[in-house]
Amino acid sequence: MNVTLNNIEVMMFYIMVAAYFLSAAISWLTLVVKKEWLEHLATGMAFIGLVGNTVAIVVRTIISQRPPLSNGYEFILTFCWGIVAIYLFAQLRYKVRNLANFVMPIPFLLLVFIIMTMGPDERVAAAIPPALKSYWLTFHVLTAMLSYGAFAISFGLGLMYLIKAKKEEKFGVESVDKGWTSRFPASQVLDELSYKIIGFAFPMLTLCIITGAIWANYAWGTYWSWDPKETWSLITWIIYAAYLHARLMYGWKGKRAAWLGVIGFIAVLFTFFGVNYFLPGLHSYA
Amino acid sequence: MSRQTESIMDKVWNIFSSMKTGLVLLGVIAVVSGIGTLIPQEALDPGGAKSVNSLWKMLGFTHLYSTSWFRLILGLLSINLLVCSIQRFNGIYRKTFKPQPPQSASSIPSKIQTRISGNDKKLREAVSEVLKHKGYQLKINEQEGRWSFIAQKHKWGNWGSLITHIAFIVLVVGALVGSMTGFKGFFMAGEGETLPIQQIKVSKGNVAENFYVKINSAEDRVLANGERDNWYTDLSILESGQEVARQTISVNHPFSYQGVTFYQSSFAQGGKFTVNVNGQKVPFILQNKGGNYFQAPGTDLYFILAAVKADPKAPIVLYQVYQGNSSQPLAMGQMNLGEVNKINDTVSLTFDGLSSFTGLQVKKDPGVNLVWLGCALLMIGLVLSFYWRPHTISGILEMQEESYLHMGAIRGKLAVGTQEEFNQIVADIKKRLASDSVRS
Ligand code: HEM
Repeated sequence: MNVTLNNIEVMMFYIMVAAYFLSAAISWLTLVVKKEWLEHLATGMAFIGLVGNTVAIVVRTIISQRPPLSNGYEFILTFCWGIVAIYLFAQLRYKVRNLANFVMPIPFLLLVFIIMTMGPDERVAAAIPPALKSYWLTFHVLTAMLSYGAFAISFGLGLMYLIKAKKEEKFGVESVDKGWTSRFPASQVLDELSYKIIGFAFPMLTLCIITGAIWANYAWGTYWSWDPKETWSLITWIIYAAYLHARLMYGWKGKRAAWLGVIGFIAVLFTFFGVNYFLPGLHSYA
Repeated sequence: MSRQTESIMDKVWNIFSSMKTGLVLLGVIAVVSGIGTLIPQEALDPGGAKSVNSLWKMLGFTHLYSTSWFRLILGLLSINLLVCSIQRFNGIYRKTFKPQPPQSASSIPSKIQTRISGNDKKLREAVSEVLKHKGYQLKINEQEGRWSFIAQKHKWGNWGSLITHIAFIVLVVGALVGSMTGFKGFFMAGEGETLPIQQIKVSKGNVAENFYVKINSAEDRVLANGERDNWYTDLSILESGQEVARQTISVNHPFSYQGVTFYQSSFAQGGKFTVNVNGQKVPFILQNKGGNYFQAPGTDLYFILAAVKADPKAPIVLYQVYQGNSSQPLAMGQMNLGEVNKINDTVSLTFDGLSSFTGLQVKKDPGVNLVWLGCALLMIGLVLSFYWRPHTISGILEMQEESYLHMGAIRGKLAVGTQEEFNQIVADIKKRLASDSVRS
């Protein structure tokens, strides 16, 4: 039975790769071929990918008999799920055209990262040490998935803001944009949506850090040990806190705040990848 | 003179009440913390920390997060937050609990505003009903010829940022208390051993308690599928020889006694032996891979357990015997269960069976409850800030022949969202007025 399940998981993985790629590629095509049905197709592809992603996660859970959250491969699967689920929610709720251009390449590139760097033995459902058997850990990774996913969306919105605001500066807010950014929402809308999404994600990130601290305290008796991963999650947290305050400060609203939002997501990625690959640390689990 | 000191005080106060100062401090903390992940830290990588340039070492960069200057920055941020909170407290209190209906049209928020005209009674009724239906609380002021109101929804959301800021102070205080008091240590002990808590290896602080810990048993439990389930230690706390508490702990399931918490952290195999010196038999246990040693009483012979084959049915041990300070073993040998080996004319060794050693982290952190309180407050504050956003709408109705209502909403941080909510309310009021006029 596990062989069948494994095959299903592999198949779902390639469906995800293809669907996320097509969703991103078609979105870029709509900049030139401004057809509504193409936009729907791109959204549909993201949806198909999400279904594949969901099945892959469920299958992995059945195979390993535990939440699929304990190695880099499993975490990237859930990370992608978080990004695409929140993207689709934002897309359906707020109808931000061209958001997929900036968001959908992220899950695609994450999957490419798996393909390029992880051999089959790094992807298998392996046994986990006793320290990882904790509900707090499940909660920790779940909140990480939601906050990181949402930060990916605000990253996309931040880039769109910077591009759109530049155009508006050049031609005036009231002018009709005829260029490739014509379908972007107005910069003010992008800014506010980005703030809303960070407003959702910031408490999630905080909860992620807190549940991590609770778990560490149960496992090792230390709620915070300043290992590089913890420290970088704190830096990420500070950047987003700075973003929230920048919006309230004269002269920082708008462009500088948008940059902070973009940098924040780079810090998220560094916390996840950079720390594992560039910095030594204790946080060896994912 | 006094004026001058006052102005210096004012200046200091102004610096500490400024959000810009706060952002600079946060930025410094982020950058410094980041540097700390690039330089090996003593706590995580003692070997690497030794090889760091001595100037950096002197400045504390190899134990950056516990340096006094890092703590100073955290302290300054806390003062900043405290000053900020004191300054904002009154305003938030008044906004939440003492909302004032507007006295004139000029105090109605201007960015989101509308004018509705109609019969004054019906207008009043429609406004009150619609806002109440939407979850707003109304406060009304009536003076001759003028009716005004202020309506609030989710008013506790106003407290979100203040609670978040206080929470951060509580966290810093909790962490500081933890780092200045309490202790942290480790011990490894075999089944059946009893040791005074004073004797554990302490890596931080001092142990003031003086109870004893007895390891009743330790077990490395494996699941049917061959994966490790967990390590379990059954331990008792003894006070003047009496057992006062007993608990089985495992990884992720610690146990606390009088604020001292025991965490399962490692596990090792070992063996039970008996040494016979001139007919006097003494049982003892040894930890695998030379984790400890045993000196045979009345001799200068030391026993070490070099290796174990932990097959429960047919265990085998490899032991070594050292004499005095010699670094070369005097004797070594392999034994099966129950086997007796002669070491010399007067000393012999018996292998009695397998044993287990358990490694426990021991910690006392009186600040930890403050830290959890800070975390709870932080979450409450953030939920109030972002999931419970306050809305305030106010309006004034001038009663004349043809009355009209001036109504506006405070824009808050979501201009588009607030405008949408406001438009919805205005539409509902107009719908209500229209249906009223159809009925009458
Ligand atoms: C650890 C550091 C800090 C955290 C986690 C934090 C968190 C927050 C949060 C979550 C908000 C609400 C933002 C929003 O609703 O969009 C906020 C608002 C605010 N913060 Fe902070 N903050 C921190 C430091 C500071 C500092 C140092 C200051 C200044 C002294 C400050 C001043 C303010 C002010 C004035 C507001 C505006 C509140 C309002 O307009 O409703 N914060 N903060």
